[in-house]
Amino acid sequence: MNKFWKSGDPFVWLTGVALMFSLLMIAGLLWLIMAKGLGFFWPTEVTEFELKNGTKVMGEITAHQEIRGISGKAEKEARYRTQLKIGNRDLYGLDFRWIDDDQIVSASEPKYAVVMERREWGNFYGFIKEISEGGNVLCQGNEECWSKLEQDIPVYAGIFKEIRKIEKGDIGGINREIESYRLKIKGVELKNGDQAQIKEYKAKIALEEEKYRQKEKELEVLYQEFTKEKVVMLSIDGREKEMALGNIVLAFRPNTMSWFQKAGLYLHRAWGFVSDEPREANTEGGVFPAIFGTIMMVLIMSIVVLPFGVLAALYLKEYAKQGTLVRIVRICVNNLAGVPSIVFGVFAVGFFIYGVGASIDSFFFSEALPNPTFGTGGILWASLTLALLTVPVVIVATEEGLAAVSQEIRHGSLALGATKFETTWKIVIPSAMPAILTGLILAIARATGEVAPLMITGVVKLAPQLPVDGYFPYVHLERKFMHLGFHIYDVGFQSPNVEAAKPMVFTTALLLILIVIVLNLTAIVVRNRLKKKYTTSAV
Amino acid sequence: MTAQTRPKKKETQQASSGIRRRKFVDFIATGVVTTGGIAVILSILAILVFIGLETVPLFQSVKSELTSSFILRESPELSSYSLETTDDKKFPFIATGLEEYRETGFVVTQDGLLTFLSLKDGKTIKQYPLTKLEGSTITSSFVSENNKLYSFGTNEGFILPVTTDYKIDFVGDKRIITPEITEGDLFKVFDAPLDIIAYEESSEEDVSAAAAYTSARDLLFVALVASDEDDFSLEADEPTPQTFNLTDQLNESVVTTIELDKAIENLFVGTDNGKIFHWDVSDRENPEFVRAVDATDNPNVAITALAFLLGDRSLLVGDQDGNVSVWFEVPDPSSPTGDVLTRIHRLSPLELPITNITASARDRGFIASDEGGNINLYHATSGQMLKEFKTDGSSVQKLSFAPKSNGVLAIDNKGKMYNWYVDNPHPETNIKTLFGKVWYEGYKKPEYVWQSTGGTDEFEPKLSLTPLAFGTLKGALYALFFAIPISIFAAICVSQFMHPSLRNTIKPIIEIMAALPTVVLGFLAGLWLAPIIEKIIPAVFTLPIVLTLFTILTVLIWQYVPKGVKGRLRVGTELFILVPVIILGVLVSLWLNGPIEDFMFGGSYKEWFYSVLGLQYDQRNSLIVGFAMGFAVIPIIFTISEDALSSVPKHLEAGSLALGANRWQTAIRVILPTASPGIFSAVMIGLGRAIGETMIVLMATGNTPIMDWNLFNGFRALSANIAVEIPEAPHGGTLYRVLFLAALLLFFFTFFINTAAEVVRQRLRKKYGQL
Repeated sequence: MNKFWKSGDPFVWLTGVALMFSLLMIAGLLWLIMAKGLGFFWPTEVTEFELKNGTKVMGEITAHQEIRGISGKAEKEARYRTQLKIGNRDLYGLDFRWIDDDQIVSASEPKYAVVMERREWGNFYGFIKEISEGGNVLCQGNEECWSKLEQDIPVYAGIFKEIRKIEKGDIGGINREIESYRLKIKGVELKNGDQAQIKEYKAKIALEEEKYRQKEKELEVLYQEFTKEKVVMLSIDGREKEMALGNIVLAFRPNTMSWFQKAGLYLHRAWGFVSDEPREANTEGGVFPAIFGTIMMVLIMSIVVLPFGVLAALYLKEYAKQGTLVRIVRICVNNLAGVPSIVFGVFAVGFFIYGVGASIDSFFFSEALPNPTFGTGGILWASLTLALLTVPVVIVATEEGLAAVSQEIRHGSLALGATKFETTWKIVIPSAMPAILTGLILAIARATGEVAPLMITGVVKLAPQLPVDGYFPYVHLERKFMHLGFHIYDVGFQSPNVEAAKPMVFTTALLLILIVIVLNLTAIVVRNRLKKKYTTSAV
Repeated sequence: MTAQTRPKKKETQQASSGIRRRKFVDFIATGVVTTGGIAVILSILAILVFIGLETVPLFQSVKSELTSSFILRESPELSSYSLETTDDKKFPFIATGLEEYRETGFVVTQDGLLTFLSLKDGKTIKQYPLTKLEGSTITSSFVSENNKLYSFGTNEGFILPVTTDYKIDFVGDKRIITPEITEGDLFKVFDAPLDIIAYEESSEEDVSAAAAYTSARDLLFVALVASDEDDFSLEADEPTPQTFNLTDQLNESVVTTIELDKAIENLFVGTDNGKIFHWDVSDRENPEFVRAVDATDNPNVAITALAFLLGDRSLLVGDQDGNVSVWFEVPDPSSPTGDVLTRIHRLSPLELPITNITASARDRGFIASDEGGNINLYHATSGQMLKEFKTDGSSVQKLSFAPKSNGVLAIDNKGKMYNWYVDNPHPETNIKTLFGKVWYEGYKKPEYVWQSTGGTDEFEPKLSLTPLAFGTLKGALYALFFAIPISIFAAICVSQFMHPSLRNTIKPIIEIMAALPTVVLGFLAGLWLAPIIEKIIPAVFTLPIVLTLFTILTVLIWQYVPKGVKGRLRVGTELFILVPVIILGVLVSLWLNGPIEDFMFGGSYKEWFYSVLGLQYDQRNSLIVGFAMGFAVIPIIFTISEDALSSVPKHLEAGSLALGANRWQTAIRVILPTASPGIFSAVMIGLGRAIGETMIVLMATGNTPIMDWNLFNGFRALSANIAVEIPEAPHGGTLYRVLFLAALLLFFFTFFINTAAEVVRQRLRKKYGQL
C-alpha cells in the first residue's frame, strides 16, 4: 500500500479526474442543448389522461418528477407527478399543468387529437367538430374536416402573406412617405417658411393618404376572406372553441403520423424557425429577424474592423521603430482584449450615442428632433462598439502573421528594387493573409456571442423593421435591431411565459452555439493550414 | 548616334518618372499607414480617457460667481427704509426670494409691502401692498415653501400666508416674467405681537397649521382644519382656528426658533438653552408633547435656526456657536415612541450665531448663514461643506436658495443684496459617498447602499459602489474557487501525463469551450442549473469526496490489469476509464442525496441552513454563478497554464526522472514550480475575465446589492449593474456618471490584472530561454 502511494499514481489519476470532469461538462452541455434544442421541432404524441375525479386532460408530456413537500423534504413513499403541456391558453389560462401520478386512472393516445399552432393564444389541443362558413356547416367530424383543413391552411397562409405584404410593405411605405414629407415641411418651416413649398408637400401628403385609404380597403377585403371560414374545436373537457381558419399556422395529428411524416414536419418546423418572424412576444414563431440582425451587425463590424486592425498591425510591425514604446503599446493593445465588453458598451453610449449621434442629429436630422435619429442606440453604434471590442484580436493575429513572414523574403523583394510599400502590399500581406483572416474570424466569433454591450447600444426585443428594406437608402444604419444572444436573454428572463418559451430558448442557444463553433473551427483550420504552409516553405 | 541615344534617354526618363511615381506612392503609403496606425491605436487608448473625463464632474468642486449685488435702498422705491438700528427686530427687510431663472426677486418690508425687483440691477419692477395687512406691522416671517409660500406674523397677533408666483411667457426667444401674488386667509393667533412663527399648508389634506411665539412668551399651536360638513356654500369652507397653548411644556425655556413640517405632523421648537422640543401634531385636535432633546454641546448655547431638509424628515439645526448639524429620528427600542431624535452629521461650523438655514428644493443640499456675514453651502448626507460665500456686511439677515438650487440670494445687515450663481451638478458624490459608509435618512446606522431609483421625487439616490465591487469580487472569487483546481489539474494532466497526440485533440476542444457565448451559459445557469442544484445541494458537496474515493478505487483495480493491455495504450489513454467512473460517481452522489439530507440535515437542508447556520437559500445564488462563470473561465486558465507547463524545457523533466523521481514528483516539484509564473498569469487572466463578465452574473444571480459572503445568496456585480441601469440613466446626470465611474473601475481592475499577467509571462519566456 505504501508503495501504491509512493508511485504517485493516485495523484496522477486525480488530475485525470479534473480533466475528464471538464471534458464531461463540455460534452454534457452540448448534449443538453442539442437534446433540448433539437427536440423542440419533433411532433410529440398527445396523451389523454383520465383522472380520478372523472375529468380528462390532454396534452404533450413535458416532464416527470418526484413530488417534494413545501420545504423541499422528500416524502416517505416516493410519489411522482407529470407535467403536461395542455395549451389552449384562451380556455385554461395556463399552458402547463402538473398532474400527480396517483390521480391518473388511465392514459391513452387518442387518434384524432389535433395540435394546432395558432397566431394567437399559443397551441390548441383538441378535436375538430365542424368547419363552417358564415353559418353554413361545410363539414363535420374529425376525418372529413381534417382533409379540408389540410387543404385550406396553405391557402390561408398565402392570404396571410399578402396581408403582411400590404401592411408592412405598402402601408409601411406610404407611412414612410408621409413622414418624410412631414419632416420636409418642418425643415422648410425651420429654414424660411416658404409657403408654396409647404403647400406642395401637403398636397403630396394628401395624395399618399388617399393611397392609404385604398390600401386599407384592400386589406378589409382580405381580412374578410381571411376570417371567412371558421373551425369549431372541441377541447378534451368538452368545451367548444370557434376560431378562424386563418388564425391557424399549422395543424397536425401527431398520434397518427408515421415516422417519415414526423420527420417531414420536423424539417418544416425547423425551417419555419429560422425563416419566420416571432409571434406572441417572441415566445413562438421564428427568429429570422434576430438571425438577420446578428449577421448584419457582424458584417458591418467586419467592414470596419478589418482595415483598421490591419492598418494598426502594419504600423506596429512594419513601420514603427521597434522600441520600448512600441512594446508598451503592444501590451496595452493586447490587454484591451481583456477589458470587459460592458466597458466598451458604456463608452459607446457616451461617445457614439450621446456624442457623435447627437451631433449628427443636430446637423442633418434637426427637423426630426426631439426624436433622435442617430442619437439613440442603433445597429451602426452596436457594430462600431463590437469593432472596438474586437480590433485588438485582429491586430494581434495580423501581427503574428506578419512576424511569421521571413525576413529573407522581404530582403529579396527590397533587393530587387521594390519599394517598401510594394514589398508590403504584394509580398508580405498576401503571405500574412491567412493570419489576417484567422484574426477576422476570431473577431467575428467573439462578436457573435457578445451581448452585454449590445443591450445598451441598440438591441431591442422586437424590432418592427429590418435594418435593410426596399426603401431608400435601403440600408438603415440608425435602426434598432434584434440579436440572437439578446433574444436568449430576453425570452428566457423577461418574457411573461418563461416556461412555455424555454424550449425555444434552447433552440436559439443551439443556433448561436453552432454559428460560433463553426466560425471558431474555421479559424482553427485556417490557422493549421497556415502553419503547414510555413513549415513546407521553410524546407 | 543621336538617333540611338534619344530613345534611351526617353526610356531612362520614363524609368525615372516611374521610379518617382513609385517613390511617391511609397511615401504616401508610409504616411497613410503611420497616421492610420497611430490614429487607431490612439483612439482605442482614448476610450480610457473618454470614460475618465465623463466621471470628472462627479468630483469637481462647486463653482460659483457673484452675478450681481446692489444696495436695496438705492432703488427709489425702497429708499425710505431706515437701517439705522442695531435691533434685529427693526430690520426693515422681512423676507426675500427669487424665481427659477434668477432674473426676478422680491423683498418684503415691515410695513407689508412686497417689492419685485430685477436681480440684475436692483430696479423695482412692481410693488404690491399686502392689503390684508394694512395698518399693521410685520413682526415675524416664515418660509413655508422656499421662494413660493411665505407667511407673516403681525404686531396684532395675525398670520397671513402669501403665495408668490411667476407667469412665464415667451415672445420669440425672449422670456417675459410676470410676478403675481396671492394673499391667503388672514387668521388670528393671539392678542399679542408674534415674534416667531411657523406656518404650513398640507398638500394632501385640506389642513393648514401655524405655531407662534408671542412677545408675551406664549407658545401657541393653531390648527385650521376645514370642516367636513358637506355644505356647498362657500362660507362653510372657512376653517375655524383651534388654538392650543403649549407654553407649559417649555419649562421656562425661551423659544428662539420654530419649525413645522409640510405634512403637519411634527412641530419642533428650538430654545435659548439649547433644547429642541418636539410635539407630535398629527392629531390636530390634540398636539402631543414627545420629548425635549439637548441639541447643543453646552446648555448655555441657544439654538438659533431650524429647518427641514427636502422630504421633511431631517432637521437642520444651527446654534449660537455657529455649529450646524443634521438630525433625524432613528429607531431605538428603548424609547417609548420607538424612535429617538439623533444627531447624524456634524458639519463644519460657521463662526458666529447662525441666522438662517434654507434647504434646497431638489436635493439634500442647504445653505446656512451667520452673524459674521458668512454663508456656507452644505450637503447633508455626505456631511460636506461645498462652498463658502462672504458678504460685506457683518451679518446675513435674509437668505434664499434658488428654486433650481443654482443660486443664493442674501441680504446683509447693511441692506445689500447679493445674487450668487452656483454650479453644483453633483452635490451628493464624493469619494466618501461613493465608496464609504453613509448614514442615509431613515437608516439605523451608516451603511453601504446602492439604490439608484425610488418612488417619490423626494427620494435620495444612494450610490455606494462598494456593494457592487464586493459583488464583482465575490462572484469572481467563487468562480475561481471552482475553476482553479479543475483547470490547473487538467492542464498538468494534459501536459505531463498524456501522449502529445491526445493533447492535440483535447486542447482544441477545451479552447472551443472558451468561445461559448456567455449568454448561453447564463441562461443555462439561471433557468436550468439553478432549479436542479436547489434540489441536490447535499449531493453537490458529497460529489468531490465520492469522486476521490472512486478514483483511488479505480487506481487500485487498474494495478491488476495485465501489463500487456496497458502497454498497448498510448500514455494517458487509460485516464478515459475515469469517464464512466465519474458518471458513476455523479449517480452515486445523487442517490446519496436523499439519505444524506435526511440523516445530516433532518430532512431539509434549507431549514437546517437557516436554523443552524442562519443562512438563507436563494435559488439563483453565488454557487450557481461560481459554476457557470467557472465554466467560462476554466478554458482560459487551462490553455494558458498548459502552454506554460508544456513549454518547460524537456531536459528538466528528463533530469528529474533520471534521478529516480516518479512522474508525479517530477510534475509537482520540478515542472510546476518552473511554470508557476505562467500559471499565475493564467489565473490572473481568468480573474480578469470573471470580473468583467456581465451576462452570467446578470442572469444567474438575483442582482440584489447585498454584502455578505454567503454562498447561497445572490449579489449584484458592477458589470451587471451597468447593463441594467445605464439605459434608464439620464445623460449627464449623477447616476450616468457614477455608472461611468463603475466602468472605469472595471477597466482599471482588468487592465492592471492583465498587464501584471503579461509582464509575468514575458519574464517567464525569458527565463525559459536561459534554462
